[in-house]
Amino acid sequence: MGDSHNYLHLARPLAPAPIATSQSSVTAPVSVTLQPQALFSIIDHASRRPADQERVIGTLLGTRSEDGTEVSVTNCYAVPHTETAEQVEMDMDYQKRMLDLHLRAAPKEVLVGWYATSGELNTFSALIQNFYSQQGEGTFPHPAVHLTVSTVAGQDVEANTYISAPIGVTAERAADSCLFIPVPHEIKYDEASKSGLELIAGARDRDDRTQLMQTDLETLEHAIEQVLEMLERVSNYVSDVLDEEQQSSTALGQFLLNTLALAPKVDAEDIERDFNNHIQDVLLIDLSNRLATAAITMGGDTNVAGSGGDQQKQQGGGERGGERGGQRREGGGGQQQRSGQAGPGGRRGEQ
Amino acid sequence: MATVPPAESPVREVQLSALVVMRLIKHSTQVWPQPATGCLVGMDVGAQLQITNSFPFPASNPDNTTGNPNATNPADPYHQADQLALALAAPRAKSSVAYQNEMIKYLREVNVDAQGVGWYVSCSMGNFVNASFVENQAFYQRATGEQTVALVFDVGRSSQGSLTLKAYRLSPSFMAACKENKFTTESIQKSNLRYQDILIELPVAIHNSHLLTSYLHQLPTSPTADTDLALPASLNELHRNPHLASNPLAPNLDNLDLSIDPFLEKTVDQLLDSIEAHQTEQNNAQYYQRSLAREQAKIQTWQLKRKQENALRVQQKQTPLPEDEWQKLFKLPVEPSRLEAMLVGRQVEQYARQIDGFGAVVSGKMFGVRGNLLPGEAS
Repeated sequence: MGDSHNYLHLARPLAPAPIATSQSSVTAPVSVTLQPQALFSIIDHASRRPADQERVIGTLLGTRSEDGTEVSVTNCYAVPHTETAEQVEMDMDYQKRMLDLHLRAAPKEVLVGWYATSGELNTFSALIQNFYSQQGEGTFPHPAVHLTVSTVAGQDVEANTYISAPIGVTAERAADSCLFIPVPHEIKYDEASKSGLELIAGARDRDDRTQLMQTDLETLEHAIEQVLEMLERVSNYVSDVLDEEQQSSTALGQFLLNTLALAPKVDAEDIERDFNNHIQDVLLIDLSNRLATAAITMGGDTNVAGSGGDQQKQQGGGERGGERGGQRREGGGGQQQRSGQAGPGGRRGEQ
Repeated sequence: MATVPPAESPVREVQLSALVVMRLIKHSTQVWPQPATGCLVGMDVGAQLQITNSFPFPASNPDNTTGNPNATNPADPYHQADQLALALAAPRAKSSVAYQNEMIKYLREVNVDAQGVGWYVSCSMGNFVNASFVENQAFYQRATGEQTVALVFDVGRSSQGSLTLKAYRLSPSFMAACKENKFTTESIQKSNLRYQDILIELPVAIHNSHLLTSYLHQLPTSPTADTDLALPASLNELHRNPHLASNPLAPNLDNLDLSIDPFLEKTVDQLLDSIEAHQTEQNNAQYYQRSLAREQAKIQTWQLKRKQENALRVQQKQTPLPEDEWQKLFKLPVEPSRLEAMLVGRQVEQYARQIDGFGAVVSGKMFGVRGNLLPGEAS
């Protein structure tokens, strides 16, 4: 998705109106990083578009680096618009209001451009692009980024990013003409989204496109299965090479050797000892964990019941007291003194 | 480990769209370690709640709401606690409700489902069970329709490799107790409410649209069987191979990591904090009991004295003094609410479950590694 394309880094042409201080940053090339949640949002919007509209548009929000050369798109929202053969209409109040609302929730983001869900660039695109690049409401003096995501069913989803330069012979023509310059873009999946993405992708091969949340054990099982599969492939390749059925490769061999050398060489006793220590820690924590739960259950129940059973509570408190640090008093469950109040025949602590 | 919701509950399972998952992750990791709160929109289809979009709540401005002159001083520790409480209370704040209504109105114009179906919050290692959480959910469940859930995203555990996203509702018995807002010993006994009963967990599933599924198929995972991968000529070339370099769906092997200390330690720390909180609650309850007992004893003695006096006066043919003046003289202490104690109990249970699950996974991994490292062991 754009990684392997080569891009010419052009200095961006200046707008006709002279920019007084002509900072070099204004003409610097731009590269765009797209976050997966923005892309998913666009795809979602595309699938929700009104039946009579071929494409829908929306605004892109994000952050810009200091000098304006790197733009990161982190959020987006849809803007209703209508498009006929002769004219295009966009709800500008909506755009302003939504921008306000979004910026309240994420004050660090700014307007960086707009998106459309079809890959074509036409006059209407130019019009809208000029609207977004203008002074005041738009991204001036920075260029507005235009992202097109082609969402034709059955074909690949393709994303392209552009910035624009004004072009046109006369002032009237300049309003609805634009030179779109493609700029490099990259879809960055950061660490945190990886686990979410994996789960989402797990649903793609199923008929109902649904995937249940997995517990830790299931995820672990899945990961181990993947590793085993990879090991299997590698070992098949190696045995093929040994049987001279496959071509050998020095580089691959070297890589495998490096990887296998990562396994630590330790004495068996050391391993046993470390392992035992480690697992004892885990088991100890598990045990004290269960004791704490049991104590709290009993403490809660007997407190509420307000009944006797001091011995039970002291037991629970004592066990918990032996856990860590000497701060816990014995009988943490507490003794309750009751005078003339007839307590109800309460429940015993249930486990 | 979802508890089975009762058959008459209006919501029995939750279905999330992939978009919501990604937005949640993004928002939560962005404002970490502050809790992230936001609203969920979607639709309820029978007993299934479909959540299709979400948006974050704006952070409330402390200067306006507290009027605390120290609120602007970041070095003041009270400021920190206030921020946290404010952030957690955002879902039920008036400004957030107005924000939510406006957002939903605008989203409706672009065909997004316009029904608020709940709210979400992020936490770290499971520390979400507190008074703010139940109040928020009670606020949402009291609203029209009652088909609302609270989604909890655990930032700490998800960074370990497995996404931890859970959906909760308040149980009907707890809602009834909330309505009366009385959590005294007798009312709890009457309703038989235990801390395990406060929250019901609902099963969560992720659902993708067709377009998204086709996009996912497009993402490179592994080269298809028929691509002819030439053998690399050098080690460097291997490292720079575009097929291997940036692969978003490459197997995520973070959860095969063997280090347990950071997460286990954090969870146990928080568990200890909760136990201390529980201890404090116990102390409060006992203090109340003791002071109640003392007051009662005093009342008894006073009543006795009064009776004796009256007997004397009757003998001397004088009018007896009223016997129930004690109500005006002695003030019985007010029983503290037991809600906090129950919440602490539930929180402890939450940590306990986490440690359980974690222990199981870690033991498995360790036995696996041990079997691998020790020579001669059967794998």
